[in-house]
Amino acid sequence: MITAVQKPFDEISEMVKGHDKLLILGCGSCVTVCMAGGEKEVGILASTLRLFNKQNNISMEIIEDTIERQCDREFFDAVKDKILRADAVLSMACGAGVQFCAEVFEGKRVLPALNTRFYGATEQQGIWSECCAGCGSCVLDKFGGICPIARCSKSLLNGPCGGSQEGKCEVDPENIDCGWQLIYDRMKSLGLLHKLEENEPINDWSTGRDGGPGKIIREDMVL
Amino acid sequence: MREKKKIIAFCCENSSLKAAYAVTDQSILDAIEIIRLPCSGKAEIGLVLKCFENGHPGVLILGCPVDNCKYLTGNVRARKRVGMVKKALREAGIDENRVQMDFISSVDSHKFMNIVKEMEERLAPTAR
Repeated sequence: MITAVQKPFDEISEMVKGHDKLLILGCGSCVTVCMAGGEKEVGILASTLRLFNKQNNISMEIIEDTIERQCDREFFDAVKDKILRADAVLSMACGAGVQFCAEVFEGKRVLPALNTRFYGATEQQGIWSECCAGCGSCVLDKFGGICPIARCSKSLLNGPCGGSQEGKCEVDPENIDCGWQLIYDRMKSLGLLHKLEENEPINDWSTGRDGGPGKIIREDMVL
Repeated sequence: MREKKKIIAFCCENSSLKAAYAVTDQSILDAIEIIRLPCSGKAEIGLVLKCFENGHPGVLILGCPVDNCKYLTGNVRARKRVGMVKKALREAGIDENRVQMDFISSVDSHKFMNIVKEMEERLAPTAR
């Protein structure tokens, strides 16, 4: 899933200043799972903003809603009227959802309530960790299902850097496991250690950020 | 005449609610509006904030004693949630002490009364 965290409240209150009618719009997909921008979080942010406005004598009508996804056009139909009536939309979706909402409702001010972080998995309830860097040329088959691009702090493809101690990364030994230690242990358990002796060519970044904004076209699906 | 909003007391039905039922002092009972919960861990952040939005001067979340939650960790979860409510109140510029978490056993009716009394006195200047 795409993970995100809420922006600091000060930043949000400053951002929405001057709008008389604000729609706080949640997203029912990734950011609901990572508890940053779902229905509950919309309610909490709306309540906090209303209390803040009351304390500061700010007149602002705040409406709340959450749709299934903000990165698909059809889900906006259910809130179209609310969006059109609002002065601005405070989107609690990831960066993609915020941009898509602004694209669908041209001329409408759409503001981000979240900082989008990374593609990750739920490590345990309340803890999410990065797993994929979205580089566009997946090498997971060669590393036992652990991505050296995303999980090695230096994105090394041919073994550890030498800064790893007791399975921990020198970048942050308290919190980051050495990605290459994880790869070594996994490959060992799979009986595939010999595979790591093969040289891995440099990554093809043309499919990642290097190639400009990404686009996928499935000719068989395009109408 | 506008009705005076009371302190909301979210009470776990396994502990503090029983303590509340044993309170005989009517002035204490008049000061609060009891909301029965199956566990204090059910007091959601949004729900507590809504109480303040609706003009209630204070909110108490009263759970079982630590290490004695019927659902094992509901009261600890409630305490963490209260921490998040306090953060939201601070951000909104409101006194964070208007929300309070306490742990009460079913026989602690005196403690229950003292908690309500203390909050009522503390909030008296701001209550409306």
